[in-house]
Amino acid sequence: MAVYRRPARTRFTLLLLVLTSITLLTLDYRGAGSGAIATVKNGARDAFAPVQRTSDKVFEPVGSFFGGIVHYGDLKAENDRLRQENADLRGDVASSDDARRQLQELQDSLKLEGTEDVPRVDARVVSTSPSNFAFTVEIDRGTNAGVAVGMPVRTGAGLVGRIVTASRNRAVVQLLTDKDFSVGIKLSTSGDIGVANGRGSLRSLDVDLIDPATVVEKDEKVVTSGLQQSQFPPGIPVGTVKSSTSRPGALQQDVAIEPYVDLRRLTFLTVLQWSPK
Amino acid sequence: MNNRRIQIRVAAVLALTLVVHLTVLSRVRIDDVRPDALLLVAVIAGLVAGPDRGAVVGFAAGALGDLFLQTPFGLSALVYCLVGFAVGSLQAGILRAAWWIPVTTALGASIAGTVLYALVGAMVGQSGFVSARLLVVALLVGAMNAVLAPAAVRLLEWSFPR
Repeated sequence: MAVYRRPARTRFTLLLLVLTSITLLTLDYRGAGSGAIATVKNGARDAFAPVQRTSDKVFEPVGSFFGGIVHYGDLKAENDRLRQENADLRGDVASSDDARRQLQELQDSLKLEGTEDVPRVDARVVSTSPSNFAFTVEIDRGTNAGVAVGMPVRTGAGLVGRIVTASRNRAVVQLLTDKDFSVGIKLSTSGDIGVANGRGSLRSLDVDLIDPATVVEKDEKVVTSGLQQSQFPPGIPVGTVKSSTSRPGALQQDVAIEPYVDLRRLTFLTVLQWSPK
Repeated sequence: MNNRRIQIRVAAVLALTLVVHLTVLSRVRIDDVRPDALLLVAVIAGLVAGPDRGAVVGFAAGALGDLFLQTPFGLSALVYCLVGFAVGSLQAGILRAAWWIPVTTALGASIAGTVLYALVGAMVGQSGFVSARLLVVALLVGAMNAVLAPAAVRLLEWSFPR
């Protein structure tokens, strides 16, 4: 058996490449060159936008064709369920109009902040995260449409996440289940406040700082607290309590909540042009 | 075939891979895990063209991918260039071209590459990269990349003709 001997040039190439990447990593990490790397990243994202649009047009019908065949039965069942839900919601809308008017009057008289009159930008989701280690989606609106880093993102159902990158025509939304995401929340029944943290799964969030004495019910509604310095305005629905356990001697309960929004099937999102006061 | 032609073909393959990675493959998800075509290109380049070219292609593929990520720029470039180099060094003894060699290599190297990515990521301060779920993610990436391996071999053998 011949012994393979590595030529010296190879090791030199590897060394050069490793040193280059470590240099780039350090530069980006320190934000040196007044964000030169960020500028390049934003440029790449904007440049890629037309390619993405074209490919979506080409592949969308293929996806929905196969989806249609496989899930026909499911779709029929879902249709029936949605029709029922629609009827229920129509009833709710009628009663909520009155409630909303009352809320508005009370907020006005108490000078409380609501999210009703925050300007908003509607956007469409164009792609999901290219990485398996981040929970993000990309939307088709950027700084040109008034989207900026830090803005909260929601759908009609509830909180989706926040903007982490914004280039001219594109922005990246960090979903509330991302490991780096946290939001101040309030339990709707007890009024107890806590902090919900993403944990890298699309299905649930963990809540910290809930007092062991608080009674937490299953399916209790959870909304953003919007306390001082909060990254989010108050009252955005976050999810429902999935489970809560309090271990003896612990300083807080283990509460898990399930987001209202189905994060696997995001299509249209609303960016709230809101920033912490 | 001269170097210039090889460079142009490699650039074309990288561009195609990036487009496929960011568009079509974004729709492929098993248990919220997607295949990593850029890592696959690094692995197969090492297999087809040896450690030197494997490292260069891995670096380029990683750097392209980094443009579209929020992680520090250079993280994927560093990891993928090491993966390309490692695969290239290990394949040097193998001369038989059985169909299963690229498939098993893609499986093993993608698992190792994903784990390495998480470890290096954790080292540069990315929270939550190393968790209990990492193994599931690595295995799924490995399996999906293994399925895509034969196509990647075709492309890279076209770029680096023997």
